Amino acid sequence: MTHNKRLLWRALAVLFAVTLIAASCGDDGDDVDSTAAPAETAEPAADDADEPDAPATTAADVIEDTQDGDLLDTIISRGRLNCGVSGAAVAFSETQPDGSQTGFDADYCRAVAAAILGDADAVEFTPLTAAERFTAVQTGAVDVLMRNTTWTQGRDTEVGMDFGPTTYYDGQQLMARAGDGFSGSSQVSDIGGAVVCTNAGTTTEQNIADAAAAAGVDITLNTFEDFDIVTTNFIQGACDIVTTDGSALVGRKANQQPDGEEWVIFPPTPISKEPLGPTYGQNESRFADVVNWTVYATILADEKGITSANVDDMAANPPDAEAGRLLGGEGELQSAMGLAPDAFWQVIRQVGNYDEIYSRHLNKVGLTREGSANAGWLDGGLIYAPPAR
Amino acid sequence: MSNTDQATLAATQARRPPFYRDATVLKWLAQVVALLLVLFTLFFLATQAQGNLEEKKIATGFDFLGTALGSDLGSGIDTDPHTSGRALLSGAVNTIRLAIGGIIAATILGVLVGVGRLSSNWVVKRMCSVFVETMRNIPLLVQIILIFVVIASLPRVEAVGEPIHGWLHLSNKGVSIPRVHISDGFYQWLVFLLIGALVGRWVMRRRLRLHDDTGRETYPVLSFAAVLGAFAAVGWFAHPIFGWVGAIFGLVADIIDSLSQTVVQAVISALAVAAAVWWIRRFLARRRTPAGLTKLTDDDRFRIIFAAAGSAVVIVVAVTVPSLSSVLLDLAGGRGIDWLRFDNGFFGWLSEKFGNGRTGAPIDVKRPDIEQLGNFPNYGPSGLNLTQGLAAVYFGVVLYTAGFIAEIVRGGILAVPKGQTEAAQAVGLRRVTMLRRVILPQAFRVILPPLGNQYLNLTKNTSLAIAIGYTDIVQVGQTVYNQTGKTLEVVAIWMLFYLACSLTISVVVNFFNVRMKIVER
Repeated sequence: MTHNKRLLWRALAVLFAVTLIAASCGDDGDDVDSTAAPAETAEPAADDADEPDAPATTAADVIEDTQDGDLLDTIISRGRLNCGVSGAAVAFSETQPDGSQTGFDADYCRAVAAAILGDADAVEFTPLTAAERFTAVQTGAVDVLMRNTTWTQGRDTEVGMDFGPTTYYDGQQLMARAGDGFSGSSQVSDIGGAVVCTNAGTTTEQNIADAAAAAGVDITLNTFEDFDIVTTNFIQGACDIVTTDGSALVGRKANQQPDGEEWVIFPPTPISKEPLGPTYGQNESRFADVVNWTVYATILADEKGITSANVDDMAANPPDAEAGRLLGGEGELQSAMGLAPDAFWQVIRQVGNYDEIYSRHLNKVGLTREGSANAGWLDGGLIYAPPAR
Repeated sequence: MSNTDQATLAATQARRPPFYRDATVLKWLAQVVALLLVLFTLFFLATQAQGNLEEKKIATGFDFLGTALGSDLGSGIDTDPHTSGRALLSGAVNTIRLAIGGIIAATILGVLVGVGRLSSNWVVKRMCSVFVETMRNIPLLVQIILIFVVIASLPRVEAVGEPIHGWLHLSNKGVSIPRVHISDGFYQWLVFLLIGALVGRWVMRRRLRLHDDTGRETYPVLSFAAVLGAFAAVGWFAHPIFGWVGAIFGLVADIIDSLSQTVVQAVISALAVAAAVWWIRRFLARRRTPAGLTKLTDDDRFRIIFAAAGSAVVIVVAVTVPSLSSVLLDLAGGRGIDWLRFDNGFFGWLSEKFGNGRTGAPIDVKRPDIEQLGNFPNYGPSGLNLTQGLAAVYFGVVLYTAGFIAEIVRGGILAVPKGQTEAAQAVGLRRVTMLRRVILPQAFRVILPPLGNQYLNLTKNTSLAIAIGYTDIVQVGQTVYNQTGKTLEVVAIWMLFYLACSLTISVVVNFFNVRMKIVER
């Protein structure tokens, strides 16, 4: 009897020890990768004490999955592209009542999805504030940012981002009320004493601080999480002036005051250069190539007059060899990139070329390509793509 | 029981049990295993994070504190910080201001409302109930945004606008009220106040003793106030005579500046050893009975080892991180720290403030004013200006916390048995005396611990300022990590900062808690 009892205690003690080891393994796994469904790894550790290996391998697999896997392969096996957008940038990415995203940036997410997965709708949009966006890329929550992100030296190097080709050349401007004595030709030197608002964690807050210091005026700079709050405060009067990329100001003005002249945008020459384009993490060169060449494909298609309407005809009878290669014909280079041969044909057919994407969203808020930096290089603009060969 | 049986029993008792059933071994094993597990987990997480960051080629480290931020802050001690460290400091000061101001106001309001709920006046009672229920049952974030929106909808500031009776100004730029300015001779005057307080305390004690001896009413508190008031009045005019105090601080600053890093390291090490020795001696003294030292339990041993190990860790850190010592030297001495833009260290600053040649009035009260520097009228520097964001967070946390404090106070007062009131009435105490001497001291014992929790909550809740763009440490930190990419480092700074604030509040509350405790004999 006593012998049996002792045996029982020993068995329990061994079981307890095993459980302890298993639980500690499971715990470590959870903490390393909080996205890896902690409940699933922790539970078996507690329940199946006789299989201490099971949770440990799960944790190890998870780490391998997120760290060593090539991002492009990960996206293909996942079947969806995780794309970070603003969700509050008029005409660039606007969250619709049904939760979907529309706009210039959103369409570039779709273009990348069409190139990688052949389906422009295979995108998981994540609306991010300016302050969250880089962390979201660093942690792998999103694969790519199409979130009107300015390409700067600091972000490219210190922050640990990489930047794709610029899709929209923007510049920072200010918006004030005409009632306060401002006009389209006002300058930064006129804003002394103003409460200037913008969104936090952006290049705009640095630019306006520099510009005000250079103009020798004192301002109070208030920064808010996203530009919806900034606009609300401007409408209510808590902010005297708002400042951000000119395109966003035009969009806001078009939305809030379709024909009013009460809000004026100045100065005529933007106070900064804001090249906006896709942004992704460092050291993912295969994925980076795909994003870059998706953008270039839309620009090349625009140059060659390939639109979503005529892309099938063009693929059948390409105007030149480059267009043929681009649309998946003889000698195409897409296969070598890890894409389907017809990847860019899908992009043009499902989303459109650069001009189509631009006109669809930006023309209606009053931003046109003619005469701006966003015209094609043949028309004196900066939109230019390397040759596809 | 036979002899052989007894012998077996004695033998069994003399033999040590096998190690896995030895309580001492198991206890120590559990302590060591627990410690190792914690250390291992921390080490594992740290190496993982380090590895992940390295793989993504993200530079880590705290060098960014000394580099340029490039952005402005909406409000704070420095709205144009040159470095990220300075910006974070500015944000931290904003948070601390909010917390201290909020705790004081929420306590006063909460006590008033809490007592009001027990009032026999029906209107007062109902109003206090409505206040409490409204504040407690609406999320703080909603309240803050509500106040923010209400202030935003106020009329705009006009250059010609007059404050209400010259005292209060409300507009969409916030609230402006009269402000007490610390002016020229304030610090010398402070010396007078200090001396006055010491003399007053001495007088008060004498009067108390006289009261105890003779039973006469000697007005001890009143005499303390009278002495302090007399010194304050004389000091108002005579404060320049204390100009030499600054020279003493200057001397201290010079001495600190002349110290080398090694001396500081030695002092820190000595202090760590002294603290550990003091703690262990006190601990042992408590275990000492008239019969000699009681047997130390394993737990006691572990605590002693822990204290010794703690001081060893401090020494190791002090020796291996020499920059820590030099920062301490700069903070204390007269040189200041470049990247924080301190022109002076602590004693250098004191020597400047207490220095000679400050002959003006100690304090100065000014009414709010409006000035127009450019196109836009703004509140001038005369008044105490709560910007829209500051006002929203401040009133938000104060009103919200006051609701909870009111309930705590009410509960505390109700917790004092009715017999105490009746007994006080029976011996003929006046109502005020009864409250002050009988009810409140007992109520405080119940009130204090939950009150401390509310103070902690209030401090942490100020981080909601980010919703409306007020530059507390979280908002500034977010700006900093966006401009520099140092997310982990900034989060670590946030955690340390809030931990330090919370621990400070806990220590203060616990101090009073211990003093209030019923002394059991």
